[in-house]
Amino acid sequence: MDFKLSEEQELIRKNMRDFAEKHVDPIAVEIDEESRHPAELFSKLAAGGWMGIPIPVEYGGSGSDYLTHIVAVEELSRSCASTGFTVSIHVGIASMLVLLFGTEDQKKNVLVPMAKGEKLGAFVLTEPGAGTDVMAATTTAVLDGNDYVLNGTKTFTSNGPTGDFYMVFAWTDKAAGRKGMSAFIVPRGTAGLEVGTHFKKMGLRSSQTSEMVFRDCRIPKENLLGKEGAGLVMAMTGFDHGRVGIAAQSTGIIQAALDESIRYSKERVQFGQPISRNQAISWMIADMATDLQAARFLTYYAAWMKDQGKPFSKEAAMAKLFTSETAMRHTIKAVQIHGGYGYVKGAKVERLMRDAKITEIYEGTSEAQRMVISGNVLR
Amino acid sequence: MPNVIACFKWVVDEAYVRSGASGDLDLSSVDYKISDYDKNALEEAVAVRERSGGVVTAITVSVPEAGKGVKDALSRGPDKAVFIRDPAFRDLEPSQTAAIMAEVIRDRIPFDLILCGEGSSDLYARQVGPRLAEILGIPCLTGVQKITIEGNRLVAERRTEEGVDVAEAALPALVTVLPDINTPRIPGVRDTLMASKKETTVIGKEDLPSLPRETMKTLSMKTASLKRQGVRFTAQRDDVAAFVDALVRKGVLE
Repeated sequence: MDFKLSEEQELIRKNMRDFAEKHVDPIAVEIDEESRHPAELFSKLAAGGWMGIPIPVEYGGSGSDYLTHIVAVEELSRSCASTGFTVSIHVGIASMLVLLFGTEDQKKNVLVPMAKGEKLGAFVLTEPGAGTDVMAATTTAVLDGNDYVLNGTKTFTSNGPTGDFYMVFAWTDKAAGRKGMSAFIVPRGTAGLEVGTHFKKMGLRSSQTSEMVFRDCRIPKENLLGKEGAGLVMAMTGFDHGRVGIAAQSTGIIQAALDESIRYSKERVQFGQPISRNQAISWMIADMATDLQAARFLTYYAAWMKDQGKPFSKEAAMAKLFTSETAMRHTIKAVQIHGGYGYVKGAKVERLMRDAKITEIYEGTSEAQRMVISGNVLR
Repeated sequence: MPNVIACFKWVVDEAYVRSGASGDLDLSSVDYKISDYDKNALEEAVAVRERSGGVVTAITVSVPEAGKGVKDALSRGPDKAVFIRDPAFRDLEPSQTAAIMAEVIRDRIPFDLILCGEGSSDLYARQVGPRLAEILGIPCLTGVQKITIEGNRLVAERRTEEGVDVAEAALPALVTVLPDINTPRIPGVRDTLMASKKETTVIGKEDLPSLPRETMKTLSMKTASLKRQGVRFTAQRDDVAAFVDALVRKGVLE
C-alpha cells in the first residue's frame, strides 16, 4: 500500500495552493456576490496548464494523470468551489469525452483548444423533465443529408453561458431505448442554438448555468461524438469522471470549512478562553478532520482506479456521495462554530455552506449515487 | 552570455511547525519548501538569462530527501541543477554550507554571477552568501533590490537603512537579493512535470574533502509564546493615563 502522492503531485498541489491564494482568494467573495464568471482568472489557469492536466501533450494538455487533476480541483475548490467546479466539468467531462470517444479531427479541432484552456467545454444532458431519469429526455437529433438537426430544450447547463463547445445528448432513435441516444459536439454560435441567461443560484454562484434551446439547430454529421446510439454509455462515462471531480470539489470545501473553523475557534474568546477549548467545539472539529481524511482517501482512490484503467463507477459514486453529504454536514457545523459571524455575507463559511448544497444534487443526486452503488453491490 | 548560479535552501515550511506540549518545537509533521527569498534568487537568475542569455544552474546542499526541492527549483526555470547531498547534511551551519558550495562551485561549475537569497526562512543568519563570496574571492553585494548587467560589470541597487546605494562590481560576483527584486513565478503543471527531465548532477559527501567542523551547538529550541493579559482601557482620561503608565512599566515607552 502506498498512501503517498508523487513528488510532482505534491509540488503541483502546492503550486495550485499558491495560485489560489494569489489569484482566487482576493476575488472569491466578489464573484460569488456578483454571480460573475472571472474570465481573467481562467486565462491565468489556462496559462499554467491547469485546464487540461490529464489530457496528453499532443492534444494540448499537460500530459499528467486524472489523480493530479483531482488534486488540483480539490485545492482550487478550497478557495472557490465555483471555480473548481468549472474546471472540473470542463476537464473531467467535456474534454475527457472528446479524448475518449472523439475522432482524430475532433481531438485536433475541439480537444486541443479546450485542453489549452482557450475554449471552455460544457456537458448538456439535463432537461426540464429529465434529471436523474435520463431516459425521460425529449431532445431529438434527426439526420438530414449531411447534417443532424437538433430540437429540444436543455436546462441547468453548467458552463452554458460561457461555453464554446457543448457536448449535447439527444435521441437519434427513441424506439431503441438505451441504445437510441447519441452525443454531439455543438459549437457556440451555431444557428438554432439559443443559450439562455445565467440562473441566479443559492450557491456556486460564479459558475455559469443556463437553459439551452435547440430549434432546428443544424450541425454537420462529423460532429457526432462517438457512435450513433452510444450516447447513454458516454453520458455514464462522463458522469463517472465528473463525479470524482465533484468529490474533489467537496473535499476542498470540507478542507476550507476545517481551516476556517480551526482559525476562528482559536481566535474567538468567550468566557475568558478561546472557544476551541470547549469540548463541544473541539469535537466538531475532530469529526470534521476525520471525515476530511475519509473524503480525501475515497476521492483519490476513485481517481487512482481510473488511472489504473479499472472500472470506477462504484468508487466514483461512493466518493461523490460521501464527500458531498459530508461537505454539507460540516459546513453547517462550521457556520455554527462561527455563530453570528458565520451568518454574515463575506464570511467564508456561509459561502461554503451554500456551495456545499449543490454537491449533493448535481452530476447525480445522493439518491442517484445510492442507486449506482446498490446496483453494483447487489448484483 | 553569463553563467548564473542560483543557490537555494530546502527549509521547514513554518506553516506546519507546531508547538509541542512542553513549549518545544514539534517538527514531526512538517512539510518543506524552498526558502522564500531563494525563490527570488532563482527567479532573478532566470530573468538574467532571459535578458542576456547564458545558463542557469540551481544548487543546494541538503539531505537526500531534498530531491523534491531540486525538482521544485528546476520547475522555476533553471537549465540544470547540482544537488550536493548526504544524510549528514542536515542542519548544517552557514560556514559548512558555504565551504561545501565553494568546493563544488570552484572547480566544477563555470560562473559569472552567483545569486543567493538575502537570508533563509528558517534561520535568517544571512551568512552563506557573504561567506561563499569570501571563499571564492569574488565581490559580494548584499541587500540587492535591482541588478543590471553591463558587459562585464554588474550594477546593483542595494537597500540600506539610509536609502538606496548603487554599487558596481566586476563579474564574477555574488549578489544576495531582497524579495522586492521580483515576483517569483508559480510554476505551471508542465513546468513541474518536466523538471525531473532536466540534468541534475548529484554530488555526495564522498566526492568532497572533509567537512569543516561545526562551531555551534543547539541546546534547545523553544516556541515563542505570546501571553495576552486581557487588560482593557477605555477612552476616559484616567484610563489614557493608566494606559501610558502601563506601557512605561512594560518598557515600551520611556
